Amino acid sequence: MIATDGLSLDQAPPLNLPLRLFLTAPLFVIAAGLLMLTDAPSILATRWTPAAIAATHLITIGFLGSVMIGALLQMLPVLGGLPIPAVRWVGSSVHLLLASGALLLAGGFLGLGSHALAAGALASALGFGIFVTAMLAALWRGRRGAAKLGQFPLVALALLITLALGVLLTLALLGWHPLPRLLDWAQVHANWGLFGWVGLLIVTVGFQVVPLFHVTPAYPPLVTRALVPLLFLVLCAASLMPLLPPEWMARGHWLVAGLIALGFSLFAGLTLWLQAQRARGQRDATLLHWWLAMASLLAAVQAWLLQAPAELIGVLLLVGVGIGLPMGGLLLAISALWLLVLIAGAAWCYRSAMLALEQAS
Amino acid sequence: MDHRLDVSQLPPPEPLEQTLDALAELPAGDRLLLCHRRQPFPLYDLLRRMGYRWEVSGCEGDWQILIEPEDPQRLGRPLL
Repeated sequence: MIATDGLSLDQAPPLNLPLRLFLTAPLFVIAAGLLMLTDAPSILATRWTPAAIAATHLITIGFLGSVMIGALLQMLPVLGGLPIPAVRWVGSSVHLLLASGALLLAGGFLGLGSHALAAGALASALGFGIFVTAMLAALWRGRRGAAKLGQFPLVALALLITLALGVLLTLALLGWHPLPRLLDWAQVHANWGLFGWVGLLIVTVGFQVVPLFHVTPAYPPLVTRALVPLLFLVLCAASLMPLLPPEWMARGHWLVAGLIALGFSLFAGLTLWLQAQRARGQRDATLLHWWLAMASLLAAVQAWLLQAPAELIGVLLLVGVGIGLPMGGLLLAISALWLLVLIAGAAWCYRSAMLALEQAS
Repeated sequence: MDHRLDVSQLPPPEPLEQTLDALAELPAGDRLLLCHRRQPFPLYDLLRRMGYRWEVSGCEGDWQILIEPEDPQRLGRPLL
């Protein structure tokens, strides 16, 4: 027998807490879109222009950070019975810090000056740092529970590495700490952010929510056990690139990118295959968003094989998967699930009251 | 008497709805054996508030949750 009596959802977030994070998140995508309207050709020509970096951080911190964290505040109690400690304080602080961090960081890149850049990096790092600490505390507290959420710590670690590299890059940009081969380190930072934090989180959450929401067979156990740790190791290997002589980098980069493409293609292919075997045939909005995101992921891999510009691959991953999937595939499902839990509870109360009235009469 | 309810092939929130329906109709002194492919953590909190106790056995993909009122001669209490 497994003891679950100690688990409680009393610390689960009030509905308005994640909804607040979800509500403001799209504003940052709109801001990034408006920024791109001002000078799309140069932003899409190279990802290293200040405007492109600003747009990227508006999306990754302001939108993705808020949405992913808002979803996790709800998901950890539902999927694993693991409530985030001090959830009101954590949720509100993270919301404030990520929103201000994204704006200041984008402003810093767009010419507001070094103070804005430093404050933006600090606020973003603090916001993510508070969340990761709270998430690791929840996972540690529930380590003896029955829930199989064993790979979330690797996702948290990927986020911490992204943060550390982001702070290091900011210090280098501000001239406070020299960093040779800055762009190579920026690529490592982007790898950890996009493939580590966002990618591994989508894979880890997908292993749980695709069979749950779409009533599909479970992912093969070998894949659920090995894929995330293997991709994490590949990202570790990719982090050594700036330490290699430049002539070795191209070959190493090709190998690492190939392994990352293979790993995520496997996830996308398996997801589509499992969803084709779902118990019920309906095509709801969440399913269509998953299909769109997995198609974008496979298209990004195809673009890489055809040696398309990195900017095109980045747009496919960041917009097709990064925005498309959380927006529809997760937000709709998770928010709807919580609302339905509340409605089911209310319906049970009503039914109990009616039965009690019948018995009384 | 144990009443068996298999919700393992239902999408959320149907397992929760059907479990609450089955509990509302559970005769005094009987127990509900819920079969689910994952642990229904949101249900546990509702059960506690409604005055039920439960035992969990099984493994991932095949869980059995045996639910009964804390006082076997009485039905669970309403949530509110």
